[in-house]
Amino acid sequence: MTRRKFVGLSGAAVVGTVVGMKLQKPPKLPDGPAGKSAVAIMRARSYSDDLVSRMLEGIRECGLDVRGKRVLLKPNLVEFDAATVINTDAAVIAAALEVFTRLGAREVKIGEGPGHRRDTLDLADDAKYRANVPKFESLFTDLNRDDVSPVRGFAGESQFYFPNTVLGADLIVSLAKMKTHHWAGATLSMKNFFGVVPGSIYGWPKNKLHYLGISESIVALNRQFASKAFAIVDGVIGMEGNGPIQGTPKPAGVLVMGRDLVAVDSTCARIMGIDPEKMDYLRMAADLGHVHTGRIEQRGETVASVQTNFALMDEYKNLRLA
Amino acid sequence: MGGLYLESRLEFLRKNQNPDGGWSYFPGKASWFEPTTYAMLALHGRRESEGDLNRAWKLLRSWQLADGSFRPSGQINDGTWVTAHAVTLASVRGVNDASMRSSVDWLLRVVGAEHDLAMRAASFFHLIQTKLDVSHEGWPWRDGNASWIEPTAHALVALKKIASQYRTSEVEHRVQEGEKLVLSRRCSDGGWNCGNPNVFNYDLPSYPETTGLALMGLQGRNERELAGALDVARRFRQETKSSLAKAWLQIALRCHGRSLETPEESAWASSDVMLAAVQALGHPEGNYRLLTVANQVGGRA
Repeated sequence: MTRRKFVGLSGAAVVGTVVGMKLQKPPKLPDGPAGKSAVAIMRARSYSDDLVSRMLEGIRECGLDVRGKRVLLKPNLVEFDAATVINTDAAVIAAALEVFTRLGAREVKIGEGPGHRRDTLDLADDAKYRANVPKFESLFTDLNRDDVSPVRGFAGESQFYFPNTVLGADLIVSLAKMKTHHWAGATLSMKNFFGVVPGSIYGWPKNKLHYLGISESIVALNRQFASKAFAIVDGVIGMEGNGPIQGTPKPAGVLVMGRDLVAVDSTCARIMGIDPEKMDYLRMAADLGHVHTGRIEQRGETVASVQTNFALMDEYKNLRLA
Repeated sequence: MGGLYLESRLEFLRKNQNPDGGWSYFPGKASWFEPTTYAMLALHGRRESEGDLNRAWKLLRSWQLADGSFRPSGQINDGTWVTAHAVTLASVRGVNDASMRSSVDWLLRVVGAEHDLAMRAASFFHLIQTKLDVSHEGWPWRDGNASWIEPTAHALVALKKIASQYRTSEVEHRVQEGEKLVLSRRCSDGGWNCGNPNVFNYDLPSYPETTGLALMGLQGRNERELAGALDVARRFRQETKSSLAKAWLQIALRCHGRSLETPEESAWASSDVMLAAVQALGHPEGNYRLLTVANQVGGRA
């Protein structure tokens, strides 16, 4: 039985391990697309820092032009537990809303489709989104219950359905959380795209993605949306250990930004003390963006200056950066 | 009459029926099977809504596929878990024709993929380190995927409602299997989440909404067996802030014969169509009884 089949059967959000399943050091990665990718690491020691200024600086460093665009902010809203930090912090969303509005976006919306919970607005309430993000309710779309349109050829499927809010956006900003993940190793800007798959069709959890394979789904979703994606990863306080839900808070004090989400996730992994070249989904996405440090132009802080090892579950200790 | 709470929600539903006869998740959007189901149940039996409900039913029936399954909306090509809702609605409306029997056939055919031979063999030979019991037959969100609590609960309600009408012994078998699956996936805290109570030997917490749905599916089981879970549901209902979870819990607790206080006379103030319908159903004078299915399978008490 393959790992992919097992995960599909048992559901990625949970379950157990296949005996003897090992993540082994794979062969050398290809160089990826031509040129280099800019990734900005901006220091933010707390959510009360001036996040707007940090984001503006990071976006400028990455050369992103948002004027006239319909922008969709896609936070990572999964579950709520007051004892830990599962979701993108409300302060990061509020700052992004102000930044993209200030930079001349035609409109800025917020959308998310949690993978486990039915009452998205209740989750948003728990995560203080309604309290701390101006006009949240009028800007927010529950992507699990949005109207949809078919896309042909996604992940080898003859038809796959995505929310119209997602398909209609000119720019999707993955406002991800920097977390370890018990199936993918880490969940960052690329995995955050799971939330654009509508639960009304694919369920809670979105088990279809597990059957396609978690890494395969991450890459397929990013192939689908890479041309109009930007990432801002909330690593101000991330999660280590048994992420993405039951881990413990881990301050990393950074926001990581870029247009190349493969490069952003590779940079985040290095900040977390994880070798991105050992992560399945990043290896599979190596033609989509840059994993190698030599092909990533680091702006703002250096990786070395902010690097802090996130605790890893035993199953993922072999991912540790040498 | 149900007072402001109930009437304001029913009025909201009446005003927001789409021209095609269905209901959307939010006003002005396309019709979907799920909110249409709950709206139809909430408005069922109201003389002034009879014509509207007939239009809704006609729309839903147009979404049935040749294999008996139902599409979740007119935009989607594939049949899904909403087929269980179709069977429940048919039962409520007294429909027992060939097309509805084909939906029951579909429900009886579809089994969660974790129950396939390879997975059961892997489990038997301890090739999987998991607490998940794969020996029972539940229902997936989509054919070919694994079983989860919510689609299994909806299928249980549907099959219990038609248990005496068609393929009785097979229905009885799947109901018993589905119940066993739900019971086997109960979380250590006494409720249910989506359907995975444990990962990497870490217990996961239950959710209020799924606990309500699981209990709806388990109607007819021995009440003593469910006493602890019903206590959890009652506590969740007190504690949860989620309006949707609270409403599903109210329906489940009322279906299990628990008396609950009447909700405060609050006027409807949301744009969530499905929530309005589920809240209306869960009101003491609402139609939650349409989802009551106790004692209909195998004469169990």
